[in-house]
Amino acid sequence: MPFISKIQRQTDYDLFPSSTPIVIDNGASYFRIGWAGENEPRVVFRNIVQRPRHKATGETVTIVGDHDPALLRYFDCTRSGPRSAFDSNVVFQFEIMEYILDFAFDRLGANGSRIDHPVLITECVCNPVQSRSKMAELLFETYGVPSVAFGVDAAFSYKYNQQHGICDKDGLAICPGFTTTHVIPFVDGEPVYKGCCRTNIGGYHVTDHLKQLLSLKYPHHMARFTWEKVEDLKMEHCYVALDYALEAQLFQKGGKEAEDKSRCWQLPWVPPPMEEPPSEEEIARKAAIRERQGQRLREMAEAKRSSRINELENQLHGLEFLLQQLEQVQQEEIQSFLSETGYVSKQEIESTLMKVSQSLRKAKGEPKAEQAENEEKADSSTSEKYPLVNVPDNVLTPEQLKEKKRQVFLKTTTEGRQRAKQKRFEEELEREKKNQQDEERRLENPELYLDQMHSKYKELYEKVEQRKRLKTNGGHANGNNLSGGVGRGERLNAAQRERMRLLTTAAFDRGKGEDTFGAKDEDWQLYKLMSKDNDDDDDGADVDEAELARVCARLQEIDPTFVPKPELTAAQPATAEAPRARPLTKEDFQIVLGVERFRCPEILFHPNLVGIDQAGFDEMTGVSIRRLPSKDGALEDRLTSSVFMTGGCCLFPGISERLEAGIRMLRPCGLPIKVVRALDPVRDAWRGASVYAANLQFPQQTFSRADYYEKGEDWLRRYQLRYTL
Amino acid sequence: MEPEVIKVELVLPTHMSFKRIQIYEKYPKGQSKVRWKQLKQILQAENYHNYPPDEANYVNIESPPSMHPCKKICDITGFEAPYHDPRTNLRYANADVFKLVRSLPNEHVQRYLALRKAAVVLK
Repeated sequence: MPFISKIQRQTDYDLFPSSTPIVIDNGASYFRIGWAGENEPRVVFRNIVQRPRHKATGETVTIVGDHDPALLRYFDCTRSGPRSAFDSNVVFQFEIMEYILDFAFDRLGANGSRIDHPVLITECVCNPVQSRSKMAELLFETYGVPSVAFGVDAAFSYKYNQQHGICDKDGLAICPGFTTTHVIPFVDGEPVYKGCCRTNIGGYHVTDHLKQLLSLKYPHHMARFTWEKVEDLKMEHCYVALDYALEAQLFQKGGKEAEDKSRCWQLPWVPPPMEEPPSEEEIARKAAIRERQGQRLREMAEAKRSSRINELENQLHGLEFLLQQLEQVQQEEIQSFLSETGYVSKQEIESTLMKVSQSLRKAKGEPKAEQAENEEKADSSTSEKYPLVNVPDNVLTPEQLKEKKRQVFLKTTTEGRQRAKQKRFEEELEREKKNQQDEERRLENPELYLDQMHSKYKELYEKVEQRKRLKTNGGHANGNNLSGGVGRGERLNAAQRERMRLLTTAAFDRGKGEDTFGAKDEDWQLYKLMSKDNDDDDDGADVDEAELARVCARLQEIDPTFVPKPELTAAQPATAEAPRARPLTKEDFQIVLGVERFRCPEILFHPNLVGIDQAGFDEMTGVSIRRLPSKDGALEDRLTSSVFMTGGCCLFPGISERLEAGIRMLRPCGLPIKVVRALDPVRDAWRGASVYAANLQFPQQTFSRADYYEKGEDWLRRYQLRYTL
Repeated sequence: MEPEVIKVELVLPTHMSFKRIQIYEKYPKGQSKVRWKQLKQILQAENYHNYPPDEANYVNIESPPSMHPCKKICDITGFEAPYHDPRTNLRYANADVFKLVRSLPNEHVQRYLALRKAAVVLK
């Protein structure tokens, strides 16, 4: 049941004489304009303006009302949202109002040099005079309107329905609007503004509440909940519960009635295409391809290696040849010979030769035993290189001493390297032995072994987990207010607690009054204690983690059903991702409207559910009656026996019963209470205004441009329409 | 402009024949440089205290705070909520909802509170 905008340009503007008034219902949600005396407004659109930039030309254009979103793709709408001229039912942005009036008059078919018809325009109750005067100015100056009248839309609606016999000439009008709700008592057909009451809650708040609730309940589908869509949902599905508590209990029990009352909205969802397990041919084909690729890679590697070997061999031959030549050459000509070849001395040639032959051997892939031999040879040569080491100090000169120190240093470093190598070798042997033992154990008794491994894994995992958890204090979003008290309350693991304790006691134990920490050297030993604590912890953690990794790997090897648990490292996202592993089903794309259906319109009756501290509908009637200047019991009874509802929000099913029950609570027992709804709550305001403007007495109620400038603002403040003509 | 945009007349034309003063004359350089007064400022400038107080004006027809006791409903489910979580300041209906409340990320908590206008606003 969404409202449909009518923005077709009308062609019969010229057919209307100058005396026919134009009737405008300037509402916060919709703007309606038409001719007086007609039953339907000619042009209806949403009262918003957008000023996006056109993507191709770059100019800023104005778009009034809501339009087909498909066409808006030509415009860059990121920096311009829809803007309204209203600030809670008072017009304050007259530039936007001008755009809207432009558009409205244009679609009404206006031509000529000015709008030559009187205009009846609606405003809010007790409109501030500034807003009123600016509106009058706009109409008079910019559009050249001859005369203007301001009226309240609820009053027009009331009069219209009064003429149709729906309500009496004394009654209460309740009109929930877009942003505000008014309760106006009518006495003798005229509204009594002194008894009027306004709460700043309306259809906008209901839609907003529903939108927020749905977004919070279904955060993944947040993009689906646009304002227009939520408004549609609200209009279609929301209702007012007669007793909120009872309805809530019904849903809480979750029985069949609750199921019936819930509505479900299925979002479009396409099941992902089923991946068939690849057939055997597929597997074989893929294996063959992979094989071929492997083969190709191996061939390439082989070719490269052989070319490199050839190159090195050539170099080797060249160098050997060079050496031979060198031997044959005479002593004197060595220098010149060498300079030709580019090598400085014989040793250089020899060393390059050795290097080349080594790399050749490596390329050929000969075992490293040869290298070990080389190293040994190197070792034996080093003992010759350190001649001075064993010579006692007192024999040497200072230079020789320095030399000796250097040689000692070199010797110790090489020895250290050798020892490290030896240790590594031994460890390697150890590991091999352990693995072999493991294997034997596994072969003896596979199941027991597997169980042991599993239990060890679990233990280690939990230990690591716990440590991580301690470090980050629970990983909770809401754990921020714990009484850790230390700094941000987050680092509470044992080491850091200890550290803090030490620091604070150190600071505290010093003595009364002054803090003399640091005066004595021993104080700084405190830090040694603390840092030691930290180190232990970290080392322990590493050892455990390494062990865990080993066990995990082993289990993966031998147990096909083992699945390592995901580790909660800092890099990984929260465990909310883990459940996503299961494929998304149809249910994930369903939006269920259960409690929200009646929770949202409830805010009309209890605005403090959304934090607005004002009276709700039922209370407002009581307030309004109390505020009436004349305390006449009979009048009050007459008022309550004709309670009239108009405005877009009163289309919720169940609202009249609820209102009636609410009013019954306020009034003395046994009085007649009748709640009626307007014939057409949405359009009756315009219709009422149209009927009013078509009346012959209407021109007396308007004021012209001359009046406006002569009589001034004070007169305008007191200007009120007389609704009974 | 693309033809379909022109056909449906999406864009408001800048010159209207029935206007005495066109928009581009009134507001040169596109948008108006005038900052429009917000409602609060308009009401302040009205000086309602100068006029007799029993006359109806925009401010004194506002409705008073509600006399009924505040209905406490659960922030998440909408059921009746006798309980209140001191840590997050949310209201909840039963133990299952409480589990949900404690597992919400902080952003959601603030949004739920903002529904009730009870969120912490840092200006």
